[in-house]
Amino acid sequence: MGEVKIVIATGLACPQPVVLAKQAIELHDQIKVIVDNDTALENIKRLGTKMGCEVKTEKKNDGTFEIDLTRKAGVVPAKEEVILSTSVLSCPFVIVLSENKMGRGNDELGYVVVRAFLHTIAEQSQKPDVMIFYNTGVKLVVQGSEVLDDLKALEMAGVEILVCGTCLNYFEVKDKLGVGVVSNMYDIAATMSRAGRLIYP
Amino acid sequence: MNGQVSYFVMLFKTMSHALKAEKILRHEQLPHKLIPIPKQISSDCGICLRFAPQHREPIEACLNNKVEIEYIHLIVG
Repeated sequence: MGEVKIVIATGLACPQPVVLAKQAIELHDQIKVIVDNDTALENIKRLGTKMGCEVKTEKKNDGTFEIDLTRKAGVVPAKEEVILSTSVLSCPFVIVLSENKMGRGNDELGYVVVRAFLHTIAEQSQKPDVMIFYNTGVKLVVQGSEVLDDLKALEMAGVEILVCGTCLNYFEVKDKLGVGVVSNMYDIAATMSRAGRLIYP
Repeated sequence: MNGQVSYFVMLFKTMSHALKAEKILRHEQLPHKLIPIPKQISSDCGICLRFAPQHREPIEACLNNKVEIEYIHLIVG
């Protein structure tokens, strides 16, 4: 077994620490990752487990954590699953539509811009992992919405679409849901809390 | 309508013309979609109306004398 590769990932935003750790463990049998926050700690522990490593963590007096990952002999890491863990499970890219328009000031213009935005998101290669719709944002996901085709295309491409059930009830359109799943504040708050990037257009 | 098919985009001098055209087409139930102007046509942050080739004729006829159309461009998919 070679020497221990040290990865200093303090001061880095999600998902950088887990990406650096993943690159290091692919090249070395034993690595030590130093991070300074709980999210990075949990993500790297999860990465280690997925990669079939022995995982040891130690909290230091200066508030940082040291995570030792040691590859177990004969364990081949499941690459596909690891990719999933770094992007979708650890630090999802989330877009929140809290209104059926984009920007404040002029509603007619805001409705034009939000349609242009959703069309562009549906066409670009870097798609979000999750999209959340609440308040008047739910009007975008019901039957008759002019962006329904774009949102359906996003859902087909694997984007998870969460729609606030309370909001559908409020506008009395629960029976008209055209795309996505009826969700609740537990899932919405949890998804927003673990987001790597959160966009409010 | 997000596949690799050819379509037309219709550009207008101002956004209010585009919105007026959209209102007319919606009323006449002619299939169209408001999209950002494709980057290969203009880097301006503008909007245009997209429609399938088979709808060009009725759409143009419908907007004739009502809205000033800047130009119509074919996007080959």
